[in-house]
Amino acid sequence: MKEMNQTTLRRLISVGLLAILIALFTAMVGAGSGKFLNAENLMAIVRDASVPGIIGVGVTYVIITSGIDLSTGSMIALVGMVMANVYAYTLLPIPVMILTGILAGLLCGFFNGFIVAKLEIPEFIGTLATMSVFRALAYIIAIKDANGVIMSQPMNVSQYAFLGSTIGGSSKGIPYVCVALVIFVVVGQIVLRYTRFGTNLYAVGANKKAATLSGINVERIRMMAFVITGFCTAVGAVFTTARLQSATTALGTDFEFSPIAAAVVGGVALSGGSGDVVGTLIGALFMATLENGVRKLDMNTAYQYVIKGVIIICVVMFDAVYKKRMDRIAKEKGAKEGLE
Amino acid sequence: MAENNVILEAKGIYKSFSGVSVLQDVHFSVDRGEVHALMGENGAGKSTLIKIITGVYSKDQGQIYWEGKPVEINNYQDCQKLGVACIYQELSVIPPLTVAQNVFLGREPRKAGKIIDYKKMNQMTQELIDKYEFPLKPTTVVDNLGIGQRQLIEILKGLSQNSKLLIMDEPTASLSGKEAEMLFKIINTLRKQGVSIIYISHRLEEVYMLSDRLTILRDGKNAALLEKHEIIPAKVIETMIGKVVDESSGSKKMLQSKGGDVRLDVRGLTDKTDRFRNISFQVHKGEILGFGGLIGAGRTELVRAIYGIDKPISGEVYLDGEKMVNPSPKKSIDMGIGFVPEDRRNHGFIPLLSTTKNVALTNYDILKKNGLAVSDKDELDMSKRAIQAIDIRPSDPDKQVGVMSGGNQQKVVLGKWLMRDLRLLIVDEPTAGIDVGAKDEIYSILEDLASKGVAVIVVTSDLQELLRVSHRILVMRKGDIVKEFKNEVVTQSMVLSAGQGVTEDKEAAE
Repeated sequence: MKEMNQTTLRRLISVGLLAILIALFTAMVGAGSGKFLNAENLMAIVRDASVPGIIGVGVTYVIITSGIDLSTGSMIALVGMVMANVYAYTLLPIPVMILTGILAGLLCGFFNGFIVAKLEIPEFIGTLATMSVFRALAYIIAIKDANGVIMSQPMNVSQYAFLGSTIGGSSKGIPYVCVALVIFVVVGQIVLRYTRFGTNLYAVGANKKAATLSGINVERIRMMAFVITGFCTAVGAVFTTARLQSATTALGTDFEFSPIAAAVVGGVALSGGSGDVVGTLIGALFMATLENGVRKLDMNTAYQYVIKGVIIICVVMFDAVYKKRMDRIAKEKGAKEGLE
Repeated sequence: MAENNVILEAKGIYKSFSGVSVLQDVHFSVDRGEVHALMGENGAGKSTLIKIITGVYSKDQGQIYWEGKPVEINNYQDCQKLGVACIYQELSVIPPLTVAQNVFLGREPRKAGKIIDYKKMNQMTQELIDKYEFPLKPTTVVDNLGIGQRQLIEILKGLSQNSKLLIMDEPTASLSGKEAEMLFKIINTLRKQGVSIIYISHRLEEVYMLSDRLTILRDGKNAALLEKHEIIPAKVIETMIGKVVDESSGSKKMLQSKGGDVRLDVRGLTDKTDRFRNISFQVHKGEILGFGGLIGAGRTELVRAIYGIDKPISGEVYLDGEKMVNPSPKKSIDMGIGFVPEDRRNHGFIPLLSTTKNVALTNYDILKKNGLAVSDKDELDMSKRAIQAIDIRPSDPDKQVGVMSGGNQQKVVLGKWLMRDLRLLIVDEPTAGIDVGAKDEIYSILEDLASKGVAVIVVTSDLQELLRVSHRILVMRKGDIVKEFKNEVVTQSMVLSAGQGVTEDKEAAE
């Protein structure tokens, strides 16, 4: 009999988790307008999942190479603040301001990649350090009043703020950020599955030595994953500031956690070499659904962090146990059936 | 044989490591479409020779010829370019990718826009699979495959790069019987297609069955080059060990059983993954029991299970008549069992810590406490006693164990067990990579322990050592105990023959 392969099973589990959560909240909160299950609320969930999902594309790449990037939250604040400076102190057009922000993100990603891949500083500690550096830089360049007190910079010109709203501008329309999410996920998945770069990401994550022996430039692949994360994070920052119509130093405080959480729930194993962008999208939707449902239930929002944490522990535990089981099955299969 | 039929030739290869000569004037040549086996005892220089051919080591002297032309191989890429592929024992396949993705990793065929042409790639893989008759499908994800099939992917990968010579180092070591049979079939197909293979193995029956010629190395020199009809088990074993068989060299010994009551009683122990099955034996007080056999015969797995690291699927272990329930290393230590693991550096000690701390680590339960903290003085005292007992020179208790010589490191590992009231000590490959002087000292330590009534189990692949220390010898082969030697004269050939599964014939015992 054909056995189900690990990736397929893992996908079913994350989709199943999302379905169960939706069913649960529908039962607890109910369907219909103002309740949980209605078009408007579902769209709100997708919108909330969008920024973590977009950043998640890059984070997925990094985790597939068995790395981690903890600095994305601080990067959002820094990118937002760079754009705020351009907005406040120059007369440059909005598209140039956005490009400057994206460039800042690329630089941050490049810096992460450089210290991790070139200087061989462990990912966890390296990006923990840049997480602190990026946030500090955001404070340093923040817009201040005459007394040196940081103030939030409003960025409410309609040429920019429209990115934070919906196509057509009505509250029932499709938010631009959701369109961006779809584009990022589709392109991200194609690159991962259908290009050498994508295959190389898996190879680097699963077995660096084997990758090197196959002529893959491991250093370059790892670097690229971080640069792409920088790009995705910058795009996330653009949509976040456009929606808030302002930039503050506190931007993205929860965003080092949520893309990683989305990836992990979606089946991107922290040990590297498995998972994909679609999985991360499912994970991001799961997290957004959880937040939304907890809010609708009028529960203390602090609970959602407890639930998130517990779910992540369970999922990682499942992955570890499952991997062990698969390794054992591979061995036993060899012992019992030979090669048939 | 005609000159142009030789694909690889190594002439007059010399290599030494820090003054110690490892290869001396070694000649080795492989013909097109030939399976050429390479044998020799541990340390005979097989892997050094292969590492020189694959560019991992540089040679001191000599020349390598590829298809008759002199070549320089400075790294693995060089040798890949020539058409040599090495099938590593530690597999380097990428589990989340498919068979085809693994085979063409880094060389995927692409369509316009840099998109991988999966159709073409799967088709190319299928062609290779058909040509060499591999039992694989291009689109299977490697995750779902057994170890044997993963190995075949490595071979396929080599073939996809038009390799003309495959080097297989102990390819059957981690394969089951059926997987190995499949591999042999494929090796035969490859030979018919003109692919040459260097086959390194300790298993005589495989070499006997597969190879066209056999080169035997001994002490870094060519000992023999045998044609297929000359490959006779007894002769091969004799050549590997060396013909000079006299008692002083430790190749022959009169075994004498020693010891009192039964200390350890193992009944029907069977491994989960079938690496050993239905093993029963006893060890007596004051006895040194040696375990012989080939690498991969299941000896290490067996002693790990007795010590409580791995859980066996069935069977019982009794220590002094008391049944061990739910064994674990902690319980074993509490019951007076010591364990010196095979992989000294990774499992035996903590390299960054001092002798004192390493000795203390296993013995915190018996060290005196000042309130909750361990008494530094007592810790140091114990370390000094250990250093004295095992004679570590220079005797610096604060020295990091990681920077000591192999011999001293092993002494520290032994020393920490000597501080306890041991009933049974298990040592796995106690002197691997240790110089001769220190070896003797380690043997005396083991003998001392035995004379004090401790039961000792020694697992070793070094035949000389096995004969030197054992009072009784059990030989394992493919997970079974196949032979017991006691109260009789035993030679290295007899042990080796038993481990190889060569039918007992008396001339080998001469």
